[in-house]
Amino acid sequence: MPFPKIQQRERERGKFSVCLLSTIHSFIQISFIHSAAKQSIAMKGLFKSKPKTPVDLVRQTRDLLIYADCNPDSRESKREEKFATLSKLLRELKQILYGNSEAEPVSEACAQLTQEFFKENTFRLLIVCLPKLNLEARKDATQIVANLQRQQVQSRLIACDYLEANIDLMDILVSGYEDPDMALHYGAMLRECIRHQTVARYVLESEHMKKFFDYIQLPNFDIAADAAATFKELLTRHKSTVAEFLSKNYDWFFAEYNSKLLESPNYITRRQAIKLLGDILLDRSNSAVMTRYASSRDNLRILMNLLRESSKSIQIEAFHVFKLFAANQNKPADIIGILVANRSKLLRLFADFKPDKEDEQFEADKAQVVREIAGLEPREN
Amino acid sequence: MFDKIKKRLIGLKKYPIGAEHYELYEEIGQGVSASVYRAKCLDNDEIVAIKVLDFERGNCDLNNVSRESQTMILVDHPNVLKSHCSFVNDHNLWVIMPFMAGGSCLHMLKAFHPEGFEEAIIATILREVLKALEYLHHHGHIHRDVKAGNILISDQGAIKLGDLGVSACLFDHGDRQRARNTFVGTPCWMAPEVMEQLHGYDFKADIWSFGITALELAHGHAPFSKYPPMKVLLMTLQNAPPGLDYESDKKFSKSFKQMTASCLVKDPSKRPSATKLLKHYFFKQARTNDYIARKLLEGLPTIGDRIQTMKQKEEDMLAQKKIPDGQKEEISQASFCE
Repeated sequence: MPFPKIQQRERERGKFSVCLLSTIHSFIQISFIHSAAKQSIAMKGLFKSKPKTPVDLVRQTRDLLIYADCNPDSRESKREEKFATLSKLLRELKQILYGNSEAEPVSEACAQLTQEFFKENTFRLLIVCLPKLNLEARKDATQIVANLQRQQVQSRLIACDYLEANIDLMDILVSGYEDPDMALHYGAMLRECIRHQTVARYVLESEHMKKFFDYIQLPNFDIAADAAATFKELLTRHKSTVAEFLSKNYDWFFAEYNSKLLESPNYITRRQAIKLLGDILLDRSNSAVMTRYASSRDNLRILMNLLRESSKSIQIEAFHVFKLFAANQNKPADIIGILVANRSKLLRLFADFKPDKEDEQFEADKAQVVREIAGLEPREN
Repeated sequence: MFDKIKKRLIGLKKYPIGAEHYELYEEIGQGVSASVYRAKCLDNDEIVAIKVLDFERGNCDLNNVSRESQTMILVDHPNVLKSHCSFVNDHNLWVIMPFMAGGSCLHMLKAFHPEGFEEAIIATILREVLKALEYLHHHGHIHRDVKAGNILISDQGAIKLGDLGVSACLFDHGDRQRARNTFVGTPCWMAPEVMEQLHGYDFKADIWSFGITALELAHGHAPFSKYPPMKVLLMTLQNAPPGLDYESDKKFSKSFKQMTASCLVKDPSKRPSATKLLKHYFFKQARTNDYIARKLLEGLPTIGDRIQTMKQKEEDMLAQKKIPDGQKEEISQASFCE
């Protein structure tokens, strides 16, 4: 997109042309009118601040972020003034990217802003300085970061290139879940950044992945729910990366998943975990992992416990995973053994087992599971 | 200076996580899958309101619940009801919120002002609601359920817009979404473009509902509030927009009528934004919180007692086999959710 660049250079040149035109070429009639017009604009500028270009705004933001970053204890009043300006600038940047209740955003302005943002380290500074900003500025910053992930400059997502070169920023964002004041902001930013497959792969393969099992169970519901949303995004968005991650990390991952999430004392953790497990295992790209999961008697035991829960929603979701054990045509002997031993209990459970809303697919699945279990013969080993 | 310090201290105040830190008192509100209780925070003896939402009841979507809890905790505006914290207790979500001792404007109308409020009160309430909408719209949120039932009054007469249960964020997913296209809200207050579901809708849908709310505060009920939901939809789409045109509306000023009419234009692009509307001449007569406290709250029984009285009244009417008005309205006033 060469157009916005040209336009911008024109505008910068315009600043000088006012005085040049008016002094040297003023005797030429046309130029004179031209310059007069420009001068009147310049005059107006004296009284009403001149609209800044997106590039100016980003540069000014960067300068203030640098100040915020390295002046932890300068004079109070001066500092407050600078932070107030910074908040105002972030608000303006957000309005360029999102528009406001009157106007839609302009794509050229968005592209200029994005390019300048990633040219130097403004993005990093914004993330690092976020805890120093007030709540409104943090929210604006979060929405800016989210939006920048989707901005294309010359049909490239330059945010992705930047993050690949600055992947350590993900470490800051993930550890945000440990700070209640920052968790929702850093969490929302993180979820936007892992839209890029390479970034998601980094987080999946990092040590951070283990921490999510604890973050999901934080006592603050809003933060725990945010961590759960990020966890889900990591494990469902980029199919091939997820399949690769799960097969490489199968043992520790599902050991943690079973013991920490599916057997958690916390109702909401179990409910979210069983739903996500169904989503993961039923995804076609994870079929190898699914087969492996549905061949383990430990897993079956956990699923059968979830089927017996008093919570209807957990029962229904558990059924969607349980059916994989029953439908598996190459059931290991110990799985058959357990199913046969519990046959009458299971069939009794399924007899009056249905979701609140009518669901044909569910009924069909249930009928098949019942047929499978009823027809099982214990195999001699 | 003192105010600044006080503000910071309030900001720093933490509310404990865990049901054992709170003592529940009487129920003060009820929805499809949630109830609101008055309660005491045992750590600081402060009276709070707790919304208890049953994850297992009704069609409760976890994603919506999570989003609402996050929106409400990140809200920081004097006219928007925020939550202090939220946590899971068994099958329930507990959301700790400030206690609004005055109750809702709907409740106030029903119990004490069945013919509507006087103009200066309306202007004061509506200006505060507009400030709330300006703030929410700025952050990309559409409230989607603006009505007297969601306008709450504190013991000091402060006005807060509550219930972000069905609010949506146009800035969700890092992108300005062109528009929303889901059937959400409460029929009587719903803008025509929300009902039509043709081209989607944006912030301006709240301005329509705001206009309907203005009529509600003026008359004591929303237009069409006695009709069943389907009829309300048809009337909103087919009839001319409602306005302040009752015989009894002669008492209201011209600017009030103009302000309301500017919100209730069927073409959303012709409605003013919240920011623009705030500059309307009508709001010049808006007064302070003290005024609201004096005019509406002085000498009233507590909200718990008021609700008890209202329940009693409805039960008595049921016993006489009359369908109470409240119940008729309840049918057309139930919110739709995504």
